[in-house]
Amino acid sequence: MFDFGVVTNWIDLFLRSNMSENMALFVEFVLVGFAILAVYAVLALLLIYIERKVCAFFQCRIGPNRVGPWGLIQSVADMVKILLKELIKIDRADPVLFRIASFLVIIASICTFGAIPFDPALHAVDFNIGIFYLLAVSSLGVVGILLAGWSSNNKYTMIGAMRSGAQLISYELSCGLSLMTIVILSGTMQLSEIVNQQSEMWFLFKGHIPALIAFVIYLIASHAETNRGPFDLPEAESELTAGYHTEYSGIQFGFFYLAEYLNMFIVAAIAATVFLGGWMPLHIPGWEGFNGIMDKIPPFIWFFGKTFFCVFLALWIRWSFPRLRIDQLLHLEWKILMPLALINILLMALCVI
Amino acid sequence: MGMMNEKLSALAFAFVEENGKTLNVTVPKENLYEAAVFLRKECNCDFLMDIVGIDYTESLGTIYYLSNTQNPAQLVALKTSTTDREDPLLDSVHDLWDSAGLYEREVHDFLGIRFINHPDMRRLFLRQDWKGYPLRKDYDANPALNPVPLENELIEDMEAVPAVELKMGQPVETIHKLFEEDEYIVNFGPQHPATHGVLHLRVSLEGEIVKKIDPNFGYIHRGIEKMSETYTYPQILHLTDRLDYLSGTINRHAVCLCCEKALKLEVPERAHYIRTIFDELTRIASHLLGWGCMAMDMGSITAFVYGMRDREKIMDIFEETSGGRLMANYSVIGGVAWDIHPNFQRKVKELIPYLRKMLKEHHLLFTGNPIARGRMEGVGHLSKEQVISLGATGPSGRASGWSNDIRKIEPYAAYRRADFNEVLRQDGMTFDRYIIRLDEILESLNIIEQLIDNIPEGPYAAKTKAIIRLPEGEFFQRVENARGEFDVYINSKGDKSPYRIKFRSPCLTLVNSLIPATVGSKVADLIMIGASLDYVVPCIDR
Amino acid sequence: MNYIKNIIIGIYRLMQGMYITMLNFIRPKVTEQYPENRGKVFPHERMRGQLIMPHNENNQHKCTACGICMTNCPNGTIQVISKKETDEETGKEKKVLDKYLYDLGSCTFCALCTMTCPQDAIEWSTNFEHAMYTRSKLVERLNKKGSSLIKK
Repeated sequence: MFDFGVVTNWIDLFLRSNMSENMALFVEFVLVGFAILAVYAVLALLLIYIERKVCAFFQCRIGPNRVGPWGLIQSVADMVKILLKELIKIDRADPVLFRIASFLVIIASICTFGAIPFDPALHAVDFNIGIFYLLAVSSLGVVGILLAGWSSNNKYTMIGAMRSGAQLISYELSCGLSLMTIVILSGTMQLSEIVNQQSEMWFLFKGHIPALIAFVIYLIASHAETNRGPFDLPEAESELTAGYHTEYSGIQFGFFYLAEYLNMFIVAAIAATVFLGGWMPLHIPGWEGFNGIMDKIPPFIWFFGKTFFCVFLALWIRWSFPRLRIDQLLHLEWKILMPLALINILLMALCVI
Repeated sequence: MGMMNEKLSALAFAFVEENGKTLNVTVPKENLYEAAVFLRKECNCDFLMDIVGIDYTESLGTIYYLSNTQNPAQLVALKTSTTDREDPLLDSVHDLWDSAGLYEREVHDFLGIRFINHPDMRRLFLRQDWKGYPLRKDYDANPALNPVPLENELIEDMEAVPAVELKMGQPVETIHKLFEEDEYIVNFGPQHPATHGVLHLRVSLEGEIVKKIDPNFGYIHRGIEKMSETYTYPQILHLTDRLDYLSGTINRHAVCLCCEKALKLEVPERAHYIRTIFDELTRIASHLLGWGCMAMDMGSITAFVYGMRDREKIMDIFEETSGGRLMANYSVIGGVAWDIHPNFQRKVKELIPYLRKMLKEHHLLFTGNPIARGRMEGVGHLSKEQVISLGATGPSGRASGWSNDIRKIEPYAAYRRADFNEVLRQDGMTFDRYIIRLDEILESLNIIEQLIDNIPEGPYAAKTKAIIRLPEGEFFQRVENARGEFDVYINSKGDKSPYRIKFRSPCLTLVNSLIPATVGSKVADLIMIGASLDYVVPCIDR
Repeated sequence: MNYIKNIIIGIYRLMQGMYITMLNFIRPKVTEQYPENRGKVFPHERMRGQLIMPHNENNQHKCTACGICMTNCPNGTIQVISKKETDEETGKEKKVLDKYLYDLGSCTFCALCTMTCPQDAIEWSTNFEHAMYTRSKLVERLNKKGSSLIKK
């Protein structure tokens, strides 16, 4: 089975044989940084295309089909357009905070992106507190959203930002709690270790019912964290035109846009890693022949397959349901998801003991 | 009729005459309020349909069309006039009927009549700094007087509310501010994705809770009533499609019926059937779009596309027979413009089972959805008394238990031939206003199913003169359009164009009823309740 | 207990909604791909796309320049410009059509002109591709150059 270890090891060897240890390390850091940024941008474009196409199919339409074959280059064209657009100066807005906000949002999302194990060898940051890091960094985004809403000097953005503050902070809880359930099961927070432990069987099946419940809770809560429908109250376009990013234009709006789609990918990737075994192939204990065939498929295909399955689920939900109202949203979190997640942790603890 | 007549004889100053089903009660302006109170309290005329302002050249008058909800076919037209053209003053009746407030502002806007004790005497449609009163016959339309403004209307002008009171027999004008200094006011519109047109709502918020709503109209006012005074009757018809563009066919039908009534024209039965089927198809298309828009306003864009997809089938049928999709331009005075297309009956019959199947899907997709149910239930309550007083006709009124279907009250065209139910619900919540539209689609399908195979043979239009002149008099016709009661008032002086034509827009009162339904709810509910009332702004901004 | 029951019913209802969207996901799509389907899908023949004046093979039309369409048009879309011409046979002076100008930009497609035309000289075509770069190009001359009235 092919993995990117071959490529990364070769680059490592090549660099080390040509320069000093420290220099090689430095070059590798830069390379990794570039790789992450490049993959980030390409994935965002791909996700925008997927979203538009899938949404169109749910709505009995065809979707983008003009630019390139089946409209494949549509999102590239959109990106070029967004890069060329004017950055509008907002009257009486706070210029510094206004600019910082969009960067905060995208930095939070890139930081999270870096910690995702795409492949046994494609794992840029492998902390021993990986899950903790993911939760911590991804929740930085809410600061950017709040700042964007506050600094735009607009009432719509203000309402949007306040809604998003309430929403993200609440859903962070059940999101974290459902991940903790798996941490209890695996006994580690390190993502590579979590993936390796699933070589026998994915945690979704290994963890019995508590893991299943945790998976569902995680899907809902993480979906809410990405600010996408039916939890798109912060940008509720029929009420607040575009919510917290109403006043942004050009590439700064593009940052919000990219971050939104990448966050969707990131939460799907975390779900795939933690519950569905990440890049680990599907293994059924006892079926050696079947496991052998599954091992033939490269791990990054497994990873992306699982992730895009979760993304598709998110899109399916996004394009099926109406938006919640703020009180329903908080009701769902504090009265349904949170208690369920807490009970679930207890259940999981009992299971593990 | 007799009872009402007897009761009215108690009013010594009133001159009462019968005109068909309408009872004309003419009173001097000093006794207007007394007569209005009498009609409201003693005669139980609890529904104020419309206030028609009219310039009789020697005097300015108003006509209050009233009806009793117990006996809805009986109309009372309360008429009064004032000869003072410099500063005409009349008593306000806004405390008797909730709908009167906006109607009186409309009359004030176009005829310059000020209403004593009305709390809000701003202009309704035109800018506050407009000079002159357009519907007066001596109005100077010189563009130099009212140049195209290049500046925005000042917020201070829009918020300064004048009111006229009578102190010691002298009118005194007071001005008060609409909003407090520190209120958090958000503009919804005129350009906003969820106001269904260019409606401007100024909303005062406290957190997410709506405290006050101030609707501003007139951003797309086209002066159709003024234009119609110079148009011939067939020319007026093409403007009626553009009032409420989603029930254009029905509006056009109303004007045709009104002219035919005036001309005493015998319309062939075939034309009646075709018109009825077209009306019902329009109603279905409108309700499907209303359903989709409501779903979209709640964030479910997919449902909107499904609504549009099903509506497309109806538009296709329209295009095949009438040549137009949205603006069908199909009814003409005396019948319909062309005979139906040979494919028409087959296509309609194919449509009925398709729509029934799709409605089931729509129910599964949206009606059963717990998020949607949670949002719609228990929100935006309008009681039966409220809807009658507000004049919120149509599905919105019927959702509160007010039986107001003109198709039942005064059956016109071929509605007599069809057996159908008036869908009524009792609770008056947003959910009732939502579900009643889907139920009405089923009912409309029933009507079409009964009529489509029985379209009688014969001519499709009666012969009319080349130039149509209506006889002298006043004519009033009510029809049920997709949003409520649409009325046409024509005052003719025997000319080829009307002296005064007035359309009762059901949407104006619907926007008015948005205010009591929403205050105290959240911003998200404001949009949703607005969508459930399903107003169309061009109908308001005639 | 009621609480759990409500949650389960809620999830079931949500699944029903998702079933409907999935059903539509696999259904054939309804999009009309416009420039590609040119020549394959036509508007219905009664569609009012544009006013035309049919000419026969001898470059003759039926318009007598009576101007009824012009007076009936609600918004001045039609301008009938006539000229005086002496009839060759009788030698009498006669009003004939010089220019029939039709402004697509202000036409509301109410069809009063075609309904009232006593000669049936004008009719609707289904051409709906009206886009132009300037507004003046929307004003069209319906009678062709050198055309004349059909002799009875």
